[in-house]
Amino acid sequence: MFAQSTFQWDYYECDTEIRRYQMNHMLKFNLNGEQVEVAVKSNEKLLDVLRDKLGVVSPKFGCGVAECGACTVLINDLSVRSCITFAVEVEGKNVVTLEGLQADGPTKIQKAFVKHNAFQCGFCAPGFIMSATELIAKNPSPDEEEVRHALAGNLCRCTGYQNIVDAMNEVAEDNRRGVK
Amino acid sequence: MKETLKVVGHNAVRLDILEKVTATAEYTDDIAFGPNLLHMAVLGSPYAHAEIVSIDTSEAKKLPGVKAVLTGKDYPEKFGLYLEDKSIFPVDRVRQVGEQVAGVVATTYEIARNAVKLIKVEYKELPLILDPYDSVAEGAVLIHPDLGNYKIEPWLNAQPGTNVAHLRQIRKGDIEKGFLEADEIVEGEYYIPHVAHTCIETHISVSKFSLDGRLTMWNSTQSPHTQRNIMANALGMAHKDIRVIAPPIGGGFGGKAGISMEVMAAAGAKSCPGHPVKLRWSREEEFSNSSQRTGLRNKVKIGFKKNGKIVAFKHEMFWDVGASAEYGSNVVNATGFSATGPYYIPNVYIDSKACYTNNPTCSAYRGFGYSEFSFGVESTMDRAAKILGIDAVELRKINAIKEGEGVAYDVPMNPNGLIECIDKVAAEIEWGKEEKSDDPNKIIAKGFASVWKAPAMPANESSSAFIKFSEDGSINILVSGMDLGQGFLTAMAKIAAEVLGLTLDKVRVELPDTDRNPYEWQTVASHVTWSCGNAVKRAAIDARNKIFDTVQRAHFIDASQLYLEDNGVKCTTQDSFYIPFSDFVITGIQTEHNTWIGGPILGSGMFMPEYTNAMVDPNTGLGGHPMVHYTVGAGAVKVEIDKETGRMKVLKMAEAFDLGKAINPDLAKDQINGGFVQGLGTALWEECIFNEKGKMLNDGFTDYKIPTILDVPRDMNPILVEVPQPDGPYGARGHSEHTMIPVMPAIANAVANGLGVRITDVPVTSEKVAMRMNDPKYKEDMRK
Amino acid sequence: MENFKYLKPATLEDALSSKSEYGSKANFLLGGTDLFIAMDKGVIVPDVVIDLKGIKALSYLEEKDGFIYIGAAVTWTELIDSELIKKSIPSLWEAADLVASVGVRNSATLIGNVCNAVPSLEAGAPLYIRDAVVFLESKSGKREVSIKDFFTGVKRTVIKEDEMMTGLKIPVVQDFGEVYIKMGRYEGEDLSQAGVSVFVDKNNNYRISLAAVAITPVRASKAENFLKGKKLNPELAEEAAELALEAIAPISDIRSSKEYRIRMCKIMVKRGLTACVSRMETGSPALSTRLI
Repeated sequence: MFAQSTFQWDYYECDTEIRRYQMNHMLKFNLNGEQVEVAVKSNEKLLDVLRDKLGVVSPKFGCGVAECGACTVLINDLSVRSCITFAVEVEGKNVVTLEGLQADGPTKIQKAFVKHNAFQCGFCAPGFIMSATELIAKNPSPDEEEVRHALAGNLCRCTGYQNIVDAMNEVAEDNRRGVK
Repeated sequence: MKETLKVVGHNAVRLDILEKVTATAEYTDDIAFGPNLLHMAVLGSPYAHAEIVSIDTSEAKKLPGVKAVLTGKDYPEKFGLYLEDKSIFPVDRVRQVGEQVAGVVATTYEIARNAVKLIKVEYKELPLILDPYDSVAEGAVLIHPDLGNYKIEPWLNAQPGTNVAHLRQIRKGDIEKGFLEADEIVEGEYYIPHVAHTCIETHISVSKFSLDGRLTMWNSTQSPHTQRNIMANALGMAHKDIRVIAPPIGGGFGGKAGISMEVMAAAGAKSCPGHPVKLRWSREEEFSNSSQRTGLRNKVKIGFKKNGKIVAFKHEMFWDVGASAEYGSNVVNATGFSATGPYYIPNVYIDSKACYTNNPTCSAYRGFGYSEFSFGVESTMDRAAKILGIDAVELRKINAIKEGEGVAYDVPMNPNGLIECIDKVAAEIEWGKEEKSDDPNKIIAKGFASVWKAPAMPANESSSAFIKFSEDGSINILVSGMDLGQGFLTAMAKIAAEVLGLTLDKVRVELPDTDRNPYEWQTVASHVTWSCGNAVKRAAIDARNKIFDTVQRAHFIDASQLYLEDNGVKCTTQDSFYIPFSDFVITGIQTEHNTWIGGPILGSGMFMPEYTNAMVDPNTGLGGHPMVHYTVGAGAVKVEIDKETGRMKVLKMAEAFDLGKAINPDLAKDQINGGFVQGLGTALWEECIFNEKGKMLNDGFTDYKIPTILDVPRDMNPILVEVPQPDGPYGARGHSEHTMIPVMPAIANAVANGLGVRITDVPVTSEKVAMRMNDPKYKEDMRK
Repeated sequence: MENFKYLKPATLEDALSSKSEYGSKANFLLGGTDLFIAMDKGVIVPDVVIDLKGIKALSYLEEKDGFIYIGAAVTWTELIDSELIKKSIPSLWEAADLVASVGVRNSATLIGNVCNAVPSLEAGAPLYIRDAVVFLESKSGKREVSIKDFFTGVKRTVIKEDEMMTGLKIPVVQDFGEVYIKMGRYEGEDLSQAGVSVFVDKNNNYRISLAAVAITPVRASKAENFLKGKKLNPELAEEAAELALEAIAPISDIRSSKEYRIRMCKIMVKRGLTACVSRMETGSPALSTRLI
């Protein structure tokens, strides 16, 4: 009847309120190219499950309400704020974090960020890299305003964003000229 | 003989960029502490000023998973950096909304939060003070009636029996005579609200109290040694038994200087020995119960001669330091000395008051009070320029303080490139050239400000460094200065590499660990490049001397003929002589007798200025030497303003700072870009908004708007000026905070220049510009 | 947040069945950008959350029989990527591009925005301008409701306890110009302090709608009637903009004062009128540039 045949349901009532049942889901999804299985409750956030249960700490806690972008991951190639995503929502999906993107070494975007000293404290970096990766996959040679538009949801307090833009402009230019 | 520098002054990829871009940097919350990690949550007061009548924690204690519930009864200790007016958990009263009243340690954060909801507190509300003018008014309720009994630094002047935690006064020359001599007097009153640091990483502390009596803390902090000191005093522990580790930090800006919520985590840890206890602020708590930037109400009165020279300067500053002045008192102190701006003035009258209010506690924030007071000073200067009929930039140059001239408290000004900064900024922004917008609804206007700042430190602040070589000739530098993102690690690496003839790939700089890294006062005040740079340079020279000694003894070449280059030792009189460090820096040099000369090369260095004296005359501010040196600079903006909506878009910025010597030129420019944007936020959009009960209404990014990548100028022009600092490493002095300071006044001045409307309260929002542009009350005085 | 039972039905029938069973104790989940935050704050505490993202029947985005149909699961990003939307409903396209950030737009849905029903909803002005009609379905049947009758107050709608909004339709029009202007505090993401949509067709029929400046979005009918049949010039635009103010009743809050909202609405309507006429005449497409 329902699609979640992989879910196990455990009910018990702690105090008299019916709603307080513990729902244990055996969540199965693809994380950075590998199938993973992890027990989660319905109310657990994807960000917390990644960080605290799966040891994937590149997505950061910055605000908890999808306003700073520090928690950004890619779900089926789209950037998503993991701080407002329930872990159970990624059942059967492909989740990619920075750890997965760089599995074979730093990407072209990461190398550009290194070359341009694009970050200072670095806390916002993983979120920016995920958003930048999504942009370039969709639009390999964006102009500067397109870059800024795509990265407007990632807040940085340190840099004033100039070097991030310079790095992305270089990636866009390289793509325009067919440089690998 | 001017040596050619090989590393210092050259650009390089920063030492820590790869770890940040690959997310291998482990911030405090990334560290795996194991399954016995406990979590802490805190109950914040809903009232801004209230007596705590009773706290009932019985229900909270019963919740399964709760390990400890703490209140002021358990931890009544007072602490503070300069003035001990803060409690780990308050006993008798709360003084700001969100002040921690109790803490819960539990097996999960969810349980801790649920337990917090079960704590019942009875309060008796007290009258509130939310404005510094009300704080000093007749009959105001005393927020700290015990002020007279607090432990306080000897260079602070508390006013017991009032709400003034500190008063700094300057009386130089004769102010009355000065104003009588003036041809024009320009006055203004200004208002700066609180703003928030908004580091993207919120405050976090993991503390562990182990049964061998040690307290270990992993803190996101700018001040590991100062935190250890405060913890030792507050908890009555020996310093050697407290270990503070500073993992990579996600932004500081002063907000993680000193100590704030970390003491609560330590208390939580003490209540659950053997477990690491994590306390991580939510974003809401980060806004309301970490610290904010001081608010200010100030009155500026400047007397000018017809030719533009300032003859008299009076500045009354009423600082809103919030519920505690343990750090804010120094903001009040530092600005009390310097609130003239970078000008030579013969007659100066300054009153700087630290006024307690029931707003959130204020502490260090980039600029340390200088952004706040410079708004009023630079706005007044611009207004004066119009009244005197002198160009605004020219007026700054006429008054620019020169080397050797006395500052407000009569200490001679250090070498500085203020005129060069002003000229370069004016040239870059094309000052004087009128520009028109393509859009008929918009105009283009330019605004300018010149500024300065000195590090605000105790007279005996100090830095120290260890350098140790490894078998392959590489070095680890151990310092307790912190890289907040400003490039500190890279700067220290370059200084050591320059002295030791190393290539940068041979250098590591280790983040602070108070067990292993030697003392650093704090990473604040834009002083670590200078102070810790000196310590690192001395440590490198110490190591170099030992290397020369070893080689001299082994090869009978006098040290004066040896030099270090290419990761080894060379000789001025023998071209072919070269010993790589890897040959001997651990093992020593083998002699022909098969004995060994030397051994592991270590360097140690320490720097503390020995000419500073903070004990000035409390009535006049004279007689001491409280500040080490000033960094000067200037900034300008080109703004496009919509004449109907008031919306502003900054098209171009130019800022120049005299940092003496740019150790990392590119990173130094990045500090200008970053600081400009942080300043832009406070100039146009940022403000902590409170209701009449003192509750912060915009404790989230929804309504506390910080600049995004779309809001910054597309044309950023950071300019470095280098007039060497005599006692700085390679001539360097700091500039990272300063880059924020010109922005608020430059924006307000641009708006006044463009639309003739003078905004005297930041942020300069589109709404204020639109609604006031035709209101005669706000018309810019264009007397001449 | 409180724990809950998470359901992910594969069909619309199953979803409606569950909603019927649990009533107000269940909430539907699509992007979750509003629901999640409300649950995290404890403002909404559902016993059951019904995730609709597995239901293919809700992801339609097509033109058919003179209407554009948009299903509940369509995200803002999908609207932005759609040439159909950009060409046929430019004001909705422009509004979509101004919602939050890319990371939110990838998950958040148009229908979720409508159901959340805050006065400042981004979809408000565009949907009002284009006479959208929403589809409400329950286990017992379907109904269509004009968007003008859908909102009844702040976060209040006519949706019944057992109903789901499955999508909406917007009539296709020809030879028109349309624009959306959003008042925010800066270029970065912001909740709308005022949202204005203006529409004109070749017969000089004008439509003006404003959101975030009254309890629900409104149409400035007095201004529309004043302009009807007339060719726009600056004086008429000015007068119409003044008349449009009679349709609104903004409040003062920490984001903006009432007075500034009123001032801005007048400017936005005036500039919007000029812009949509210009777009109609030049056939230029929707742009996500700002007129204010």
